[in-house]
Parts: sequence; structure tokens; C-alpha cells
Amino acid sequence: MKEINIIVFALLFYNSVVAQDKFLTKEGYVSFFSHSLVEDIKADNNQVLSIIDTVTGKIAIQMLMRSFMFKKALMQEHFNENYVESYKYPKATFSGELLNFSGLSAANNETEIVGTLTVHGEVKEISTKVQVEKGADGITLKGNFNVDVADFKIKIPAIVSNNIAKTIKVTFELHHKPYK
Amino acid sequence: MRGNQFKILIGLFLVAVLGLLVSLYYYNKPHVDVKHSEAAYILTVQNLIDEYQTDENESDKKYSENVIQVQGTVFEISTLKGNSVITLKDEGFESSIICHMLPEDNKRALQLKMGDEINIKGICTGYLMDVIMVRCTLVD
Repeated sequence: MKEINIIVFALLFYNSVVAQDKFLTKEGYVSFFSHSLVEDIKADNNQVLSIIDTVTGKIAIQMLMRSFMFKKALMQEHFNENYVESYKYPKATFSGELLNFSGLSAANNETEIVGTLTVHGEVKEISTKVQVEKGADGITLKGNFNVDVADFKIKIPAIVSNNIAKTIKVTFELHHKPYK
Repeated sequence: MRGNQFKILIGLFLVAVLGLLVSLYYYNKPHVDVKHSEAAYILTVQNLIDEYQTDENESDKKYSENVIQVQGTVFEISTLKGNSVITLKDEGFESSIICHMLPEDNKRALQLKMGDEINIKGICTGYLMDVIMVRCTLVD
């Protein structure tokens, strides 16, 4: 956790002679969706922190696991207490880079985002397609990707293993604004 | 003899129904009703931020997932997907408390002005660059 804070602050404050280089949101959206024959489960997080350095295309994202809101209180409780163990690992983070960031335009707005995703204390390399909408007043990133529950050492008890998918779809939508 | 067997059957049936009701209740149990919950801690904005910045882990254990009440100055009022977001922040400080309000508090939130001193009750979810609170409601 300390490490990612250093990355975030490095992105934010160092070599920030030109402040317009940084775009930030504290209200980013990340959701995940699990589909199984028994039920569909969805959780939304609208408090995601994300910072882009427009010079390098580097990006740092942080979110609180307890900010994921479920329809059913019991699911939210099980998620935090038993599956992702939020008391031990309160945050999920992503640190990486938007490839060819400076070459993106309205006509050519699709690229790859590559980096490391940390959930439940487990680190995994991720690479996925992302749509980038650049404007004077903001930068929007949109996309989705799949993660395997097992990759993050999240244990699902046998009794509910039919209720929860092995692969979870993660969707993100981040509307960054100029920082200060 | 037949009477006794019948009674046992009825008994088992009642236990099964009760078990089903209890598990249904738990399965559908509602989210914490912030409006009608007692706050576990009452603090000022700067006190809460100071505690998080001093020891994030300890503060998380203490406050996250709890209903807490904070007192502070309105720095910003915005809306996100139809719900109000109130940022409480003291002058001259970098960090704030970002309060995502309950939909039923929208009207009251929109009547607030920058600089108003208010009390907000909600569930703390932790700290990023700011302390985050969800399911918040204004306290008179």
C-alpha cells in the first residue's frame, strides 16, 4: 500500500512544473459483474481515484474495497469480510501506462492500457483495450476486462461456488479533469 | 403411536419452515439505515483527517464500515449520477472528506452554500487522498 501511495504522489507532485500535465478524478466508476446460473451479482464503486500524467501517459488508480456497493447487504458483508478481506487489504490499485498516449485523437481513440493490478494483496499484469476521449476540459477512459478470481487467491466457499462466477467482468469509466 | 409420529413430523416441518424464514431474512437483510443509526464516533473534519494521516491502518480499523458523524465546513457541492456529493474541507488543508449523500437528501443538500457549517452522518469506507463516506445524511 505504501508503494502505491508513493507512485501516486510521485505522479502528482514531482516534476509538476506545468500543472496542466496532470488530470485527476476522485469520482471514477469501477464495477464488477459475476454471472452464474444461480444469480447475477453486480457491485459499483463511484469513488475511484485516478491520475493521468499526460506527458508520459502514466496512470495510477486506487479504490477502496468497502466502496463497492452491492444490492444485497449480506453479499457486501461476505465480499468484504470473507472474500477480499478488506480489513487486511482495504484498497485495490492499478499502476501502468496508456500506450501511444500522445498519438491519440478523436479519430484514433483506442489504445492499450498495460500495468499491474493489485487486489487482495496479489499482483497481476494486466493489458486491455481502452477508449480514450481527450478534450480541453477532461480525459475520459472507458473499457472492460475479465479477471479470474483464482488469480487473486480469493477463496470462495464450496457452498456458494455455484453462485459466483470463476471469471469476473470488470468495467471502468473514468472522467478526469485538469488537476488544479 | 401414530399420534406421536404425526407430532414429530409437524415439529420437523415447523423447524424447517423456521430455518427457511431465518435464512431468507438473512439473505434479504437490509443495508444499514444510517438515518436511524447512532453514530459510533462524532468528530470534526480535521480530527478525522489527522487521524487517518497519522496512522491509516489503525484509523481504518476504528472507523471504516462504521456509521460516523463529522462536523465541518462545506467546500463544494456537486452531483454524481443524480446524487449529491458534499466535500467538507478546512481552509488551507489539502485533504477533505468526500460525502456521497443518500438520494433522499438531494433537496436539502442543494440548499447548502459554500462555507456553511454542517454535520453529516454516514458510513466511512476509508482513505485515498481524502476520507470517503457513503450513504450520508445531513444531521440537524
